[in-house]
Amino acid sequence: MHEITAALNALLPLLYLATWGAYVWLFRTNREAARRWSRGLLDTTILAHAAALVLQTISQGRLPMSSPPEFLSLLALAVMMIYAVIEHRLGVRQTGFLVTGLTLILQAAASFVAGGAHTIDPLLEDPGYAGHASLVVLAYAALSLSFLYAILYLVLLRQLSRKQFGLLFRRMPPLETLERMSVGAAKIGVPLLFGSLALGHLWLYDLADRVDPQLASTLTPFDPKILASWVIFLGYALGLVGHRWWGWRGRRMNVLAIGAYLAVIATMSAIHRFFPSFHDFTRGGGA
Amino acid sequence: MTGPVAKLVMRGVDHHMAPTEVRERAHLDHTAAAAFLDALADEPGFVSAVPLSTCNRTELYLEVEPGFGLRRSLTAALTAAGVDPGLFFGEHARRLDGAEAVAHLYRLSSGLESMMIGEPQVTGQLKDAYRFARARHELGPVLLRAFQGAFRAGKRVRTGTKIGTGAVSVAFAAVELARKFFADLSDNRALLVGAGETGALAARHFLQGGIGGLTVVNRSPDRAAALAEDLNQGKGELVRARPWDELGKALATVDVVLATTGSPEPVIDAETVRTATRARKGKPLFLLDIAVPRDIHPDAADVDGAYLFGLDDLDEIVRTNLTARRKHVPDAEAIIDRELEEFHGWLADMDLRPTVAEFRAYLEQVKDKQLGYVRKRESDAVAAAVEENLQRFIKKVLGRSMSTIKNADSQEERLRRLSALREIFSPGEREQR
Repeated sequence: MHEITAALNALLPLLYLATWGAYVWLFRTNREAARRWSRGLLDTTILAHAAALVLQTISQGRLPMSSPPEFLSLLALAVMMIYAVIEHRLGVRQTGFLVTGLTLILQAAASFVAGGAHTIDPLLEDPGYAGHASLVVLAYAALSLSFLYAILYLVLLRQLSRKQFGLLFRRMPPLETLERMSVGAAKIGVPLLFGSLALGHLWLYDLADRVDPQLASTLTPFDPKILASWVIFLGYALGLVGHRWWGWRGRRMNVLAIGAYLAVIATMSAIHRFFPSFHDFTRGGGA
Repeated sequence: MTGPVAKLVMRGVDHHMAPTEVRERAHLDHTAAAAFLDALADEPGFVSAVPLSTCNRTELYLEVEPGFGLRRSLTAALTAAGVDPGLFFGEHARRLDGAEAVAHLYRLSSGLESMMIGEPQVTGQLKDAYRFARARHELGPVLLRAFQGAFRAGKRVRTGTKIGTGAVSVAFAAVELARKFFADLSDNRALLVGAGETGALAARHFLQGGIGGLTVVNRSPDRAAALAEDLNQGKGELVRARPWDELGKALATVDVVLATTGSPEPVIDAETVRTATRARKGKPLFLLDIAVPRDIHPDAADVDGAYLFGLDDLDEIVRTNLTARRKHVPDAEAIIDRELEEFHGWLADMDLRPTVAEFRAYLEQVKDKQLGYVRKRESDAVAAAVEENLQRFIKKVLGRSMSTIKNADSQEERLRRLSALREIFSPGEREQR
């Protein structure tokens, strides 16, 4: 199993590179062959990466996300999966070169940048954690894509406003489609975030009975990251309600998506820097 | 041009070489084209012709045999059609013979000779001309094959390259621009301000583009109603007319505005646009002002949520798309070259066919004569064996002879070998023997 996992891990950067190459080819030429190759390579890469992840989880007895490279690789897969869902639902492939370019960077960093010495937090070995953590990564990957499409919306809108009718004008999908992609990604991310929070609370409740009292005292639902995640969930949910029932559209909606995501990054960074949290697994400082 | 392709010739005037005034004078309508074909029918050496006449060109494709008096016959036929023959022989004329004429036809069908590279209308016009000519007389094999090949080449160029992508007319550019805002035009409504020719043309393009509904507003309500009725033909109640004083209200209910009046002053000010966009909660309002002078006050471009475009912007899109199309010309030419190669291969074999048939007939005749002698003297089994061997012999001799002709180093050598074979095995020679 170890050999297969190693082979898959070695193959992954090449698969990500090939997928990105196919999407660049599609963006530049818009050829039918490029459409077929890009979709085929996207599916192949996702399957290969998922297989590698499952094998690694089985062999190590934990979800591989304790080191920065492991986390980056998991994030790359999550972004690819969410993108594949959006592409399949809307049938729009012109933006694939950007998303796969981003995942290529993530995967290349995961494969070629050393993670350094790190302590593996015992919480990561708990099976209940795997579901919670996977949902968190998927949720934030979806919100990241929502952010990316909102940026693309504003870039195209700016090009149109400035009467620039170059390659982006010809190749990018319509503004309305970009908005649907951004909102669509948020529509995937928000339920996933809710699911991850709900699962996290259940897991926390279950775990408190199984660990020693001192450790259990640190497992609080009022952890700053949990509270911030609830605020993020409510903020995004409100945005989706505004879009669905109050008719929030266009530049306003996309500026909101960008603002919300930047707020997420800023809040999480601040909490990570200034508040202690049992969610800090990479330093082995968790519960 | 020498060789077998010289049977096809083209004389014409087009936008590359002739000004509009010359092209207008050279135009052949259906009546004139019919007269042209009828006049040519009795000319010695004439096989068939396809006259093509569009706003950008009039081209006469002819299949002729050696001895056809091209200038004399065309002069007579064009005169009969009421067109000045001098136009087709003067400084503005394009004269192409043989392979050049075929290559031109293939390029034309693929949109490479069009004013707007890659435009598809020319293929339809070529097909109309081809059907018209076939209805009047039987087309010769070379002309028939050349046209069929040109249609196939055109189709392959359009499907195999991106030469036809991107709008290259102002009206199409308007639809293309709207499509950059809205994913599916059938979910959107448009407002047409003005009921003149420009407005009607733009409205037709948006209807063809699948717009979900259209409201016509015009100072003269009768003209608005008439245009709405005209545009509605076969489309139910897709197009509606509204009174001029409801312009502001109409603006708030649509996503696309086409301003096309002949008003000397703007008819839509920034405040009207601002009021309309307020209710849209950020959804873009696409304003297209194709009136001269402008119908929408330039300040409307500063209104949040409103995006104003004019004729200059559409021209810019057309220019950009044309530049992009030109980049696909080498790919298109590669496809055409492959198709032309196939045509010339067919043509090369064409002149061999009668000679092959004659040669085979001669060999079969000799075989039958020899078999007759054998059957009189030998058993059936021996005769059958001899027949089988002679058949094999004929096949080998024919195959060797044909490959010797086909593999000639030059066209001249090929013709020399072909004529030598014809001379040896011509019907006259056989009778003498």
